[in-house]
Amino acid sequence: MAKSALLLILALLPCAALAQRAKADLRCTPSGTDFVYDCTIQITRESKPLSGLTVVVGADMPSMPMAHSVKPVKASPGKTPGEYRARLELEMPGEWAVKLRLSGPVRDVLVLHYTFRP
Amino acid sequence: MDEYALGVLTNIGLFSFVALSAYLLLIAGELSFGQQAFFGVGAYAAGSATAMFGLSLPVGVVIAMALGAAAAALVALPTLRLRGLYFAMATLAAAEMFRILFELIHWQLDVEGELVGPDGTQGFRGIRWMLESGVEPIRFAGIVWLLLVLVLLAFVYIENSKLGATIRALGQDPTLAGALGIDVQRVKLGVVAASGALAALGGALFAHHNTYIEPRNFDIMLGVHSLAYALIGGLGTALGPLLGVLLDIGVLEASRFLQGYRMIVFGGLVALLLIWRPRGILDEKVLHWLRARFS
Repeated sequence: MAKSALLLILALLPCAALAQRAKADLRCTPSGTDFVYDCTIQITRESKPLSGLTVVVGADMPSMPMAHSVKPVKASPGKTPGEYRARLELEMPGEWAVKLRLSGPVRDVLVLHYTFRP
Repeated sequence: MDEYALGVLTNIGLFSFVALSAYLLLIAGELSFGQQAFFGVGAYAAGSATAMFGLSLPVGVVIAMALGAAAAALVALPTLRLRGLYFAMATLAAAEMFRILFELIHWQLDVEGELVGPDGTQGFRGIRWMLESGVEPIRFAGIVWLLLVLVLLAFVYIENSKLGATIRALGQDPTLAGALGIDVQRVKLGVVAASGALAALGGALFAHHNTYIEPRNFDIMLGVHSLAYALIGGLGTALGPLLGVLLDIGVLEASRFLQGYRMIVFGGLVALLLIWRPRGILDEKVLHWLRARFS
């Protein structure tokens, strides 16, 4: 009996862990100032919006992640559940790896590739 | 300390490992444009160890350093007979081969319902050891700097030993060193393997700090920068590369207002500095002067 319970717990562990993984969708538009973009981030978990998070947004250029990076900014909650907004000041347009550091109800780091157009 | 300052401090530490690996080769008389390859080997090896197989970071770091040393020795075996520019070109070609290899690796395992592992050009996500172990960024920065201090102490010890004198003798004149009974090929092979292990250590820590790696992280830009750090800081002491990294990151951070143009300005400053001081700021002359003044 105890063995069966242990097996059941072990079988359910991956599902529990999977439930903790968040997903994010990113959309950025030029703000009108050179290299400054207004970004909208939609964060979900199991297709349900995740609100109440602290989201810190940074960005690195893939070819030199430790030198070409953007000073991380804290995103503010948007108008709809799970939506967050942040303004990113880049060095140049092109492909950047946008890093979202989540804390609060969910702790995670998500990395999204995004091509910023001039 | 805010999160950004902590990130910059950690990056300075991480860059220093790859800069020290380039420095080690420079004092042995070899110019390598390929240290980023072993940084990448370390990142992929340690990332795989912790994220795919659930091993601890210390075990992952040991595996990474062993593989970094082996990869560097593998590159060195056919190329050590080359000298100067030819060796530099061979290391660059080898580093590109490694980068392309990283692009071709697709090896993912199902870890807790999520596919984790290298996925070619899509990179390697989910290196979550820091998050899962509850290691806060300040503690991770402490780990990076503690390891860096240990490496610097090892450099100081070796540079004041017979082995250090042997390596510098090789760097000055390998023919004369050989005539004095030094096994030039064997010592150089050891130096190259040690430099590979050192770069891999930096890569292993980088992968866990960044949580995500991809082949483009390990392209020529990192190789050129690591070489520049050692040359800017100076070849007189192992503190030279650290000074080079501090100057580079410091200048880059201070010139953010220049946006994308800051790399052009930085490149110009590096060129001027190397015309003024070809062996860097802390070169052998400065070291002799400092020793004479303070001993």
